[in-house]
Amino acid sequence: MSDLPPRRSVRRWLVTTNHKDVGILYLATAIAFLLIGGILALVFRLHLLEPGGTGLLSGNEYNQYVTSHGLLMVFWFLSPFAFGFANYFVPLQIGAKDLAFPRLNAMSYWFYLLSGVLAVAAFFLGGSFAGGWTLYAPLNVPTYTPAMEATTGSNATVFGLLMFVISVTMGTVNFMTTIHRHRAEGMGLWNMPLFTWSILLTVWMMLFAFAALLAALLLLGADRIFLTQYFATDQGSGLLWAHLFWFFGHPEVYIVFFPALGIMFEAFQTFCGRRLVGRKWVIIAMVLVAVQSFLVWMHHMFLTTINLEIKTLTMATTIGISLPFDLMVFALIYTMVKGRVRFTTPFLYSLGALVLFILGGITGVFLGAIVLDYEFRGTYWVVAHFHYVMVSGVTALIGGLYYWWPKMTGRMYSEFLGKLSFAVYFIGFNLVYFPMFLAWETPRRVFHYSGDMTLWHQLSTVGAFVLGLSVLMIIATLVHSLRYGAIAPDNPWEYSRTAEWAVPSPPPLENWDGRASYASGSLEFVPDTPATDGGAVADGGTATAEAAHAGHEERHPDHASIWPFAIGVGTFVFFLGLSGLTPTVIELIEPYYPADGPVITTAGEISYLYPAITVVGLAIMGVSLFKMGVEDFYVPEPRVAERWPFGGDLDDTKMGVWVFLASDVVVFGAAIGAYVFLRLHEGWASFDPIPFAAWPGLLNTYILLTSSFTVIMALVMAERGNKRGLLGFLGATMALGLAFMGVKAFEYGVKFSQGEFWFTGLEYSLYFVTTGLHALHVIIGLLIAAFMIYRIVSIDAYLEDERPVEFFGLYWHFVDIVWVFLFPIFYLM
Amino acid sequence: MQTRVDVFEDIFMIFLVLGTIVGVIVVAYTLYNAYKYRDTGEPADEDAPTLGELPTGGQGGKKLFLSFALSAVVVISLVAYAYVLLLYVETGPEGENPGEDAIEIDVEGWAFDWDFHYEDGVETTGTMYVPAGETVWINVTSDDVWHSFGISDQRVKADAIPGEYDQTWFVAEEPGEYEDAIECFELCGSGHSGMTADLVVLEPEEYEEWLEEERAALEEDEEDDEESEEDTENDEEAEEEEDDEGGED
Repeated sequence: MSDLPPRRSVRRWLVTTNHKDVGILYLATAIAFLLIGGILALVFRLHLLEPGGTGLLSGNEYNQYVTSHGLLMVFWFLSPFAFGFANYFVPLQIGAKDLAFPRLNAMSYWFYLLSGVLAVAAFFLGGSFAGGWTLYAPLNVPTYTPAMEATTGSNATVFGLLMFVISVTMGTVNFMTTIHRHRAEGMGLWNMPLFTWSILLTVWMMLFAFAALLAALLLLGADRIFLTQYFATDQGSGLLWAHLFWFFGHPEVYIVFFPALGIMFEAFQTFCGRRLVGRKWVIIAMVLVAVQSFLVWMHHMFLTTINLEIKTLTMATTIGISLPFDLMVFALIYTMVKGRVRFTTPFLYSLGALVLFILGGITGVFLGAIVLDYEFRGTYWVVAHFHYVMVSGVTALIGGLYYWWPKMTGRMYSEFLGKLSFAVYFIGFNLVYFPMFLAWETPRRVFHYSGDMTLWHQLSTVGAFVLGLSVLMIIATLVHSLRYGAIAPDNPWEYSRTAEWAVPSPPPLENWDGRASYASGSLEFVPDTPATDGGAVADGGTATAEAAHAGHEERHPDHASIWPFAIGVGTFVFFLGLSGLTPTVIELIEPYYPADGPVITTAGEISYLYPAITVVGLAIMGVSLFKMGVEDFYVPEPRVAERWPFGGDLDDTKMGVWVFLASDVVVFGAAIGAYVFLRLHEGWASFDPIPFAAWPGLLNTYILLTSSFTVIMALVMAERGNKRGLLGFLGATMALGLAFMGVKAFEYGVKFSQGEFWFTGLEYSLYFVTTGLHALHVIIGLLIAAFMIYRIVSIDAYLEDERPVEFFGLYWHFVDIVWVFLFPIFYLM
Repeated sequence: MQTRVDVFEDIFMIFLVLGTIVGVIVVAYTLYNAYKYRDTGEPADEDAPTLGELPTGGQGGKKLFLSFALSAVVVISLVAYAYVLLLYVETGPEGENPGEDAIEIDVEGWAFDWDFHYEDGVETTGTMYVPAGETVWINVTSDDVWHSFGISDQRVKADAIPGEYDQTWFVAEEPGEYEDAIECFELCGSGHSGMTADLVVLEPEEYEEWLEEERAALEEDEEDDEESEEDTENDEEAEEEEDDEGGED
């Protein structure tokens, strides 16, 4: 609402929703987490100086450090660092003024930062999660928590991760909508710069992969707080977690690496002065990888009990997915041929990344051969291999930092210092990770290694400090640039092609006057009027029907809102509170806890502190969400843009809702999948329906289907501008939703009165958690409906623009459809 | 008969040699091109990329596909070769999963040690006894969390997952006592790092003798047990009390 304060004011950074500001916040925060994750690594590498450890860390501390190092680097450094660039440069590259949903963008940043704070705070809440970044079951449930001597801290790690996933989901919706619907005139999908392509494919993968992780973490959270038994049994729990985690985890490898690849493509083209060889095939190869990434996850489970046929299939898909990367690597190599290669700092980092990636790729082929994988599983070979791949990605991202630094800061950096940092970095990198190949027989996450590996581990530790030094040198180079660097021109790099170099360094708040257009075949900035054919500029300012429809012709877009930050804080406080609930819950349920259930040895003690924190968090969330809902925040949609294939009568918000629902489909899919998996494992017929009768489910099916009808009627009324009708049908929808919850409460109540709870047995956990997840969706729907009714009563909302009613309807129908699946599964089968 | 060690050495060597050759060639070619086409300050030809152009691809697609096809052939043939050996490993050296008189040992991991169950109820903890030169089939599972049982020297490994039984085999050729040869390869808690066990490889006849002795000792124990049944009951009660106390930690 308010004007954006200047960049030197702290307030600016709390309220900004501008994509460039948010990009800088992402980059700075990611570097902070890099430093924290790096320090953890230095500490445990020091511990590894001697076989059996130097005594610096206890076994449990070592596990905590290793676990948090992995989590922080993969989740809180790598991806967000890449998304810092994506925030800053994707809109510039595609000719957009900002992301489609600027407040949502700010919100995903605050969720990201605060989720990381929660994960780091875990160390001070009795010890962070110590079960490895893969969180394998059943070590990840509270039964084994006493061995880790912490509940609150390790819960905080898990909920930090959950909050991070929410941040990613918001980012996904935003980038998906922006890239698909805000491209400049003339820029078809094929024409997008490769960095933007890499981000588009990354968010497509994120959409499905992170939704699976979200589901896994929700189930794990339920296990950890409410003592359900998803991951606590010896009835397939371990394999279930591995499937869920790696279904997310393998695409995650490409999610982390693709943006780095995109930067390599950009830097190679610019600094070789040549266009990418085989560009079309490179894009096709990337699309193939993105699709296939969901079919290879079981290669992380070759040594488990999955059968030979599945292993063979997974081996085939794994080899299949490695081939497109061969093509990409060769495309980069041939782009240098006949070029004019300039060894600037960003190019050195990109070239270094390519060399390291080649080594990482070759050592990966070893792991693709199942017989070898049997021997390499759980050893330093794996550690060395994935560091070569992942940190090769980091190398390219650092290249990106140098490449775009002049654009972001308006200052050039010192090439000498930059190259020096690269030399130290490259030596340090190979000194850390190459000896790990030589020490490959060492089991992962172990400090009792055999004596003949000592030299390699010591070299690796030395390398870690060299690599750490190089990171400090990079930071020093950039600080030096800020102080003493020459003023950067708009385009410091000869042969750059993409639009960010056509605007000032740094670009103004709204990037350019008018709008970007490629209608003539190359970039032009034209007055923001509807396009006529061929990009010819119409005489300025003729108001069209479309512009009139928007109704804000003269209004300036907003760039500042405090509510994303406030919602982030509320959510943080809420999850912090949840983290400490376990002992209280244990104390409360103990009298009803089954004697044959998984052993709970954590001493239960009623605590009033954490429940209070949870409630405070909910209150902050509620107030700030409401405030954001009523805030008048104007974000124009571009009048002219390339939108294929998401044009037509879709608008940004509707597309966002669809994308969100698509991810929610995966969340429920994973929850239902977990049910099917565990039930099949135990024997399908061995489960009886948990509800005391089928009729409450049937009744609720009728209730929800009727509410789908009333919400359609509400939309019809809104279209007609009939306020009373709209209020009536929206009210009826709410009433039906409440009736549904009433029946549900009765049904649960009957079970409780029979002494059967969610922790009574595995099938009870499945029933209560899955239907509970659905009920949570109903409750959220009810809150939205209540808010809408308030808006209709208070400001006659939706009578002129009925679209929000339609969006709510989409969500509500989705929740109804999910129930149609849950009813037969839980009541009839 | 090829042991797991033989299989591994064959295949690892081939992968290592080919991998090194391919790696050296590709990296050298990359660096060669970077050097050869370094910017010499000559004026750009007309085809140079320009700011604001709509992206298109550069020339040189044929070479790209040739290299790609070559790399695909290398990778696919390597993996196909490895697959043949996989089938050998999966079925075992006798060409059948554990035959009728195969030696089978059930391995159970628990935080933080290993139990071994031999025939006739013989059990050991922390030390695994196997006969030299014979195929030993193992069934690996876990009593608590996910572990992974591995003997690096014997190139054998199997995940130990609660409720699952992962079967594999190995042949230990050299008799001897191998301290800490058995390690845990999956993070399993605070004692994971030290979760090792010893491997004792005996001559086949010694192994039989050892098994016989253990069996006899077991029978003696059972007789003792019957004699002092009352004592045992008392002991059990005492143990239970201890458990309860431990539980409140």
